[in-house]
Amino acid sequence: MKKFLSLLLSTFVFVMSLSAQKTVTGTVVDESGVPLIGVNIVVKGTTSGTITDIDGTYSIDVPDGSDILEFSFTGFGTEQVDVTTGSQFDITMGENSELLEEAVVVGYRDQTKPKSNVATQVIGAKTIENRPNVSLVQTLQGQVSGLNITTNSGQPGANSEIILRGYKSINGNNEPLFIIDGTPVDEDNFRSLNPNEIESISVLKDAGATAIYGNRGANGVIVIKTKRGKFNSGLKVGYSLLVGQASRQPISFDLMDAQESLRLERAYGSGRGAEIDEDSIARVVGTDWLDFFFRDPVTQTHNLNISTGGENFRTFTNFGYTDQQGILKDSGIKRYNFRSNLDGRSENGKFRYATKLSLNYSTNDEPNSIGSGAINRNYLLGAFQSVPYISIDEYVNGEALLSPLTFANTPLFLYDRLQTYTRYEKEIKAIGSLDLSYDILKTDNSLLTANSNIGVDFVDQNLVRGEGPTSFNALLFAQTGNVTPGFQQQRNDRVFSYNWLNSLIYSTTLSDVHNITAGLYTEYFRATLDNFSFFQEGLDPRTYFPGDGSGFIEDNALNDFFVPDVGADKLYAGLFSYFASLDYDYNSRYGIGATIRRDASYRFSSSNRWGTFYSISARWNLDQEPFMESLPFDLLKLRASYGSTGNQRITVPGNIFYNYFASPDLTENFFGTGSGYGGQNSLFLSQIGNTTLKWETINQINVGLDFELMNSRLRGAVDVYSIKTVDLFQDRPVSAINAITSQRANIGSLSNKGIDFNIRYDIYRRKGLIVEAYVNSNYNKSEIIDLPTPDGRIQGDITVRREGGPITEYWVYRYVGVNPANGELLFLDADGNVTENPSPDTDRVDTGLNRIPDWSGSFGLNFDYKGVYLETQFNYVTGVYRFAFDYSSVIDPTSIGQFRMSNDLLRAWEEDGQITDIPSLNATNLALDDDSDRFLFKSDYLRLRFIKLGYTIPNKILQDLNFDRLQFYVMGENIKTWTPWRGYNPEGTGNASRNYPSPRIISFGLDLAF
Amino acid sequence: MKNYNLIIFFISALLLTNCSVELTQPGRFDADSAFQSVDDLNLGLLGAYNELDITDQITFNATFTDEISIGFDSGGQGVGDGRYLFILNSNSAISGQVWTDAYDAINASTRLIEASALITPESGEQDFYNSIVGQAHAIRAWAHFQLFSYYSTDYTDGSSPCVIAVDFVPELDLELGRNTVGEVAALIKDDLQSASTLMSNDTSDPTFMNKDFVTALSARLALYQEDYGMAASLAQQLSDKYPLANQDQYFDMYDDLDNTEVIFKLQRNMGDSYDSQATGGGGWAGALFAFVDATITGSPYFEMSRSLYNCFLTNDVRRSRNIDPSSVINNNYANDPDPINSDILVIRKYPGSDGQPLMNDLKIFRTSEMYLIQAEAAVANGDLSGAAGFIQSIRDARTDGAASAPSYGSATEAWADILKERRIELCFEAHRYLDLKRLAQKASVFIDRDPIDCEPYGACSIANDDHRWTLPIPQAELNANSVIREQQNPGY
Repeated sequence: MKKFLSLLLSTFVFVMSLSAQKTVTGTVVDESGVPLIGVNIVVKGTTSGTITDIDGTYSIDVPDGSDILEFSFTGFGTEQVDVTTGSQFDITMGENSELLEEAVVVGYRDQTKPKSNVATQVIGAKTIENRPNVSLVQTLQGQVSGLNITTNSGQPGANSEIILRGYKSINGNNEPLFIIDGTPVDEDNFRSLNPNEIESISVLKDAGATAIYGNRGANGVIVIKTKRGKFNSGLKVGYSLLVGQASRQPISFDLMDAQESLRLERAYGSGRGAEIDEDSIARVVGTDWLDFFFRDPVTQTHNLNISTGGENFRTFTNFGYTDQQGILKDSGIKRYNFRSNLDGRSENGKFRYATKLSLNYSTNDEPNSIGSGAINRNYLLGAFQSVPYISIDEYVNGEALLSPLTFANTPLFLYDRLQTYTRYEKEIKAIGSLDLSYDILKTDNSLLTANSNIGVDFVDQNLVRGEGPTSFNALLFAQTGNVTPGFQQQRNDRVFSYNWLNSLIYSTTLSDVHNITAGLYTEYFRATLDNFSFFQEGLDPRTYFPGDGSGFIEDNALNDFFVPDVGADKLYAGLFSYFASLDYDYNSRYGIGATIRRDASYRFSSSNRWGTFYSISARWNLDQEPFMESLPFDLLKLRASYGSTGNQRITVPGNIFYNYFASPDLTENFFGTGSGYGGQNSLFLSQIGNTTLKWETINQINVGLDFELMNSRLRGAVDVYSIKTVDLFQDRPVSAINAITSQRANIGSLSNKGIDFNIRYDIYRRKGLIVEAYVNSNYNKSEIIDLPTPDGRIQGDITVRREGGPITEYWVYRYVGVNPANGELLFLDADGNVTENPSPDTDRVDTGLNRIPDWSGSFGLNFDYKGVYLETQFNYVTGVYRFAFDYSSVIDPTSIGQFRMSNDLLRAWEEDGQITDIPSLNATNLALDDDSDRFLFKSDYLRLRFIKLGYTIPNKILQDLNFDRLQFYVMGENIKTWTPWRGYNPEGTGNASRNYPSPRIISFGLDLAF
Repeated sequence: MKNYNLIIFFISALLLTNCSVELTQPGRFDADSAFQSVDDLNLGLLGAYNELDITDQITFNATFTDEISIGFDSGGQGVGDGRYLFILNSNSAISGQVWTDAYDAINASTRLIEASALITPESGEQDFYNSIVGQAHAIRAWAHFQLFSYYSTDYTDGSSPCVIAVDFVPELDLELGRNTVGEVAALIKDDLQSASTLMSNDTSDPTFMNKDFVTALSARLALYQEDYGMAASLAQQLSDKYPLANQDQYFDMYDDLDNTEVIFKLQRNMGDSYDSQATGGGGWAGALFAFVDATITGSPYFEMSRSLYNCFLTNDVRRSRNIDPSSVINNNYANDPDPINSDILVIRKYPGSDGQPLMNDLKIFRTSEMYLIQAEAAVANGDLSGAAGFIQSIRDARTDGAASAPSYGSATEAWADILKERRIELCFEAHRYLDLKRLAQKASVFIDRDPIDCEPYGACSIANDDHRWTLPIPQAELNANSVIREQQNPGY
């Protein structure tokens, strides 16, 4: 209350003080005497301000009673001048070393930006925090050039596919290594982590940066640092609130309503419409099942942080709460986050320590069978494909649905499931680390430091799912005579990993110009997985409650219906490495760096235990050269690097908890025991080992340019790269006489070439108005160089891998339209002749198309006018092709009478000579389109991914209020999408249908600190 | 803290972290020492048996020919994958399934045979040991016969291409070409000979391969090779020993309650690895036709084809057995505007057992087949009335004597009637495709789909000498094996 009172008072004072003034003029130059354009000048304690013009001159009215002018400029410090004694002040501004020499993560060590030899991009807290995305990865989307993030599901907190500079592995892991405060964490599990705790995210792209991560660095490294307190600061409290509403994004095709559906069915002679007359049709009141299965939920996030710092210690404490319901019923997340970061130092500053501890708990309502064709299990199928003339009022109970059992009742099966099925995951995720460092030797020009970092990542997930005993599904699949069907499954997965890194770092400066830094390191990683599960069949409806065992029916002598299935699994993973780095800098003008790492992975302990990875990198700080002095470059740096990294993750497991553990010992021959003939225990061959298996090796060359010019008005980086993966993990085809048809082996090679750029430009910065434009983009082209088969081809159903082709290339025959003579589908054979009966064997052709973008990135415009700001982010991808199965299923005539159709079917061919794009409903070669490109649609999109309009209360008001920060904003995620795609979401990782589309979210936010 | 203390601390930390990454995962069992005793061999035998399955063949035989129609509750099964539309190529599921299933069984049984050579049975174990090794040979013979049946263009030409005959554990990089029909048949016969020598005389359990299985397989092989004298003599041994089931026994046989005429069947139990709803094969046999159970409310996505239904006599137990009473029979189906919904023929060959709907044992050899083999042999011998007699024996048993005796005016007529009887008797037991392959030309018949079943799909028949009566070598093998890549079956 006191604060609000003071707000009123200070407003009053400002108005009073505007009564008298004087004019101050002058010129602002930098240290070399060059005039600075666009320097912000504010009368301290007021809102009055101006900026310098093209000659660096300024003129400002200073009210009586005010005596300080504040000069500020991006890339420079802030200067304050007392103007009480005159009216002409020329100012020289010094470069702000803190800003320019922003720390850049270079793999296990930090360097300042001018001294970094490598390709990295840093994202600050400002662009990560206070977004309604549960997973920070989704917020990262589009913000880093070359980092292509695709989220296949609208489930809050859903895992995303994260690909840096193209797919470098065909079958192995393709996602970057994530390191939070020194601790490697699972790259697929961010739903429980709080993005608001993050200070910065550095994306390490080239081998110069990643080679030191050895067998984990193949796909790039993303280094996350969390927030810390400040030494010698008072108590700071921050609070932010985000309240939003999510909703479904619009769909791109026209679905039939109840009457349209029934009329189509009547015309086609199938389904309910075939049995009733036009009058009855007109009277039908249906249900739009899209609206039924989806909802517009309210989401909220609260975040409270407290930080403080004394002379030798500082703390940062954060509490976050998120409650986000999904747009699909029965989906959502509730999350609680605690973080405590504490660090301190000895009085002489030689010994430093830090603990970072993050404890997180989330409950996730997460329906399964998403993407499947199960009419009784996938809610999305119910939403997308249910016939609209079935009304929710037709639902009685599960038992009533058993007879007659028809596909058209799909929405009722699923409604029953909503009532009777439970599935949730409760997850504890803890990440903790301890950093110790000690300056063993410290002189004026050299420093030897020993460091040790121990990090722990722990996750424990408890899955509960239950199918109630009176549910339709339980009754449907009940054994004969089983009056207490239903099941409850519980599963607990626990992964514990720890990483211990030790290093000795020595740096010295010789003759004031030779700077040398050398490091020696060891790193050890161990992880264990434990899980157990049971699947109880048989529940007593009187006492059943999901997650509770009171209703379990015991096994009995009459039958084997109620024998529970139990399971348990235990796996280990381990890595050990030692490595070294050396950096040399000459007078901040030239620099070279080198790293070498020896790595051992448990996966290859009996075949190729040790791998060696290395890199060299160099830079030339052109802006330091005398001949550059007259040019407007604040920073101009040419970089180049070459090096190798390894990928020891042979396969990508379906269950993310197995990420560290999948394919642990493919080098061995094993027999297994388990259920054999008639269910009896048996002994069987379970694995034929590959005794020569080893790492995939990724060699990358990168050349880049970092630049800042015109007083940092234009700034950015451009990188070109060429990456070659050799010894690819591929399935070598093996003759079936071996009891296997393929074996994972190191065969073949793959290349990725491309360009990354991120450029920012201040279009306008005058009179308090700043307009900034930016673009982050990547172009990447992949090419398979070498494959294991003699003809250089591996053909699947609709895809082919071939030498010279891109990865996941579609291989189909070409659909060209509808035969006007008979309504049949027309295709091209391999030679380009039109045919109605293409052969799947001989007529499929290499299309050169795949689902991986050529160009991807983002761009936008940001405006700021005296605290009112607007931020925009448009994301785009091009060159993406996917099968539009959600569309094909609503124009498939064989589904008429069972599922919802599109009005496009009304254009179906009916009479001789008719020109149309929809074949006859009775075309006899409809099924042949399965192997064709008929439903292969361009899935490019341009999306207004993010827009934010906010107001930051100016500092001068805040100071009087004792606030450090106070801002309000409204923002939107996924506001508008432009795409040729036919489906619910152009963004997706595969060709699946009936997936959970990502939502649009409109939010209101409040962010304050005092 | 003194400097040197810290240095010691860090150095020791560096040393401590020099830890091993040689991790042995729990639950691993080294292949080299898998078999140590006769009991181990028995466990291996149960593993080898578990490789045997014919559900993928059942569904293929049914959908590619004329045993099923697309049901009112279809979600696109059979059509989407092209089987019902006669789409068959090296990427078709069936091509890979038969091939890999058989070689998996061959590999498992061969490993067992090779391991057995290194184990000396203890006293009292010799018979058990012999029985295990004998069954391993029988499994290998059966698996080779599966391959022989589906991938040979001509069973009777000993020099025509067959499949890879494998009686050893191969090296991974081995690329072998196709052996001839004669060579594969010889290996099957060798294995059957070994099996017969080693097996005991106990033939009481039809869920394990025994001497009668060996005889039955020998008979079928001889029939396929048109060695009719041998086929008839072997078949007669079994038809003498195993009576045809009467109507009640026949009915109970498909509830897995009667084994009167079962010579061999693959056992399917709750909790075994085939205890699942797998519509493409590899699970419950009944799930190849319906999602839930074998009634009209069990979501039957495939129904009995109208043409097959029309073959049944009203008093034939095979009709009441194969058609569920909940079916909706519309005798005027041909003129009905919506036969899909007005004429619903629900298949009840695999209704389930032990309380589990749709789960049943898979019948491999039954007495009736032995009669049918003898009938073919009789026709080949020019003994048309003898052939009619064998057919009549089956019909009498199935109709309780109510069927009128057939009489054949020509061999073609006799072949056609035998083929029809096989269609009725062995429906949904993975015979129809192979029977048409063997007999359609002799009998001058074709795939026989009723217009109401096939016209909506424009897929009523294919020529009876079409290349698709032999499966293509699967793509997976072509990818791996450069020798066989040049030996694909004609037409593919």
